[in-house]
Amino acid sequence: MKTESPDSQLLALLDRVALSDEKALRELYELTSSKLYGVAVRVVTNREWAEDVLQEAFITIWRIAGDYKATLSPPMAWLGLVVRSRGLDFLRRRAAERADRMQELDEVISDTVAGDSPNPMDTAQASQQALALHECLSQLDNKQREVVSLAYMRDMSHGELAVQLKLPLGTVKTWIRRGLEQLRGCMAKLA
Amino acid sequence: MNVIQNPALIEQLAASYALGTLRGGARRRFEQLARGHAPLRAAALIWQGRLASVAELQPQAAPSPAVWKRIENLVNAEKEARAMEAARAPAQVAPSGWWVSLSLWRGLTAAGTMAAVVALVAGANLSKLNAGLDGQLAGLGGQVKDLKAKLATASLTPDIQYVAVLADDKAAASMLVTFDQKNQKLVLKRVGSFQEQSDKSLQLWALPPTGGPKSLGVLNSDAVVRLTAAGSDVRAVPTLAISLEPKGGVPSTGGPTGPVLFKGALIETAL
Repeated sequence: MKTESPDSQLLALLDRVALSDEKALRELYELTSSKLYGVAVRVVTNREWAEDVLQEAFITIWRIAGDYKATLSPPMAWLGLVVRSRGLDFLRRRAAERADRMQELDEVISDTVAGDSPNPMDTAQASQQALALHECLSQLDNKQREVVSLAYMRDMSHGELAVQLKLPLGTVKTWIRRGLEQLRGCMAKLA
Repeated sequence: MNVIQNPALIEQLAASYALGTLRGGARRRFEQLARGHAPLRAAALIWQGRLASVAELQPQAAPSPAVWKRIENLVNAEKEARAMEAARAPAQVAPSGWWVSLSLWRGLTAAGTMAAVVALVAGANLSKLNAGLDGQLAGLGGQVKDLKAKLATASLTPDIQYVAVLADDKAAASMLVTFDQKNQKLVLKRVGSFQEQSDKSLQLWALPPTGGPKSLGVLNSDAVVRLTAAGSDVRAVPTLAISLEPKGGVPSTGGPTGPVLFKGALIETAL
């Protein structure tokens, strides 16, 4: 039996959520919450905060699912962006409350950057576009990949990355520039 | 340096723009340039699309089951609010009490958000009645459920005399306060997603026209909080406010010590 592609399944669910179908929201949650919680944890670095972010993200999705049609993104990428943006809002709110915006780096990330442990990328439920990106990111070395990924997921500047990763600013800039150049070459071939 | 005629530079700038590492003046210059040059705009959009998939590649993790419960509660509250709003629409034709108070409220806040809030008022009222019924009918088991089901469909006459919608600095409703004069109870219902940290408490203040703020009580972390208040403490108070205080709150005499998170006008409903 041919199974429905993950994308078309998510598309159908988003259509129903846009019509205020609570069951569809529940199904969407069951399908995507682990992935999206992973995104939230990555952005805010704290599991408890990430749960607040996931909750806010699903309420946002419930309200704006109708907007999805206007985008050309694969559904999982769009959902991931909603979570990332809620996560970044969360960090900004916290920064307004407290001065310590810079969180201590969680151990997974410092291990990845410091050593050569494999970057924990996960391709479950990934769209075609994400699979291509995955292939290209895999060709970067661990440190470059991690810096590019962190810059994007946490919306961090060169300076913030240098402070958090305890690296010279010049190194961060070079890794990002080279990382993006390599990605460009690779993505141009695939996409 | 002519960006437009340099494809490698276009790519580099578009990629940094989408990644977010292009900042400050350089970012603004890029945006300005992109508005006039389609190839630059296209490159930025392509990179935004590519990088959006970075989120798709993050490792999975299992959230606590409580998260779905919280989402479900919020979604149900919103649905209930929409349904009540729809049900109430025809009633607005008659010059009823609701209509009078509605136009009064519209004058105070943006109309768009108010429709939802009005419906939430009714929702809060319903849950208050439900809670009351639970008390009276304790021990009667299944009958409570039946009656509550009937109540949910019956058209209710609200008996709230004072209502305040406390909003945050972005005018998003965060707390709904109703005062039941007969029972001398203030009922506070959290309608936003704000939750104080475990070492903090929210404290409710009356801001009378003269004299300093007067504490009306400290909230526990529940979604619905009931505080006892004398009518004289609430009547003639134009504004209520909620401040963030150390756990357990602060004495009334000194006024709030923490930031005021939410405030709003106290309105007497015309019934």
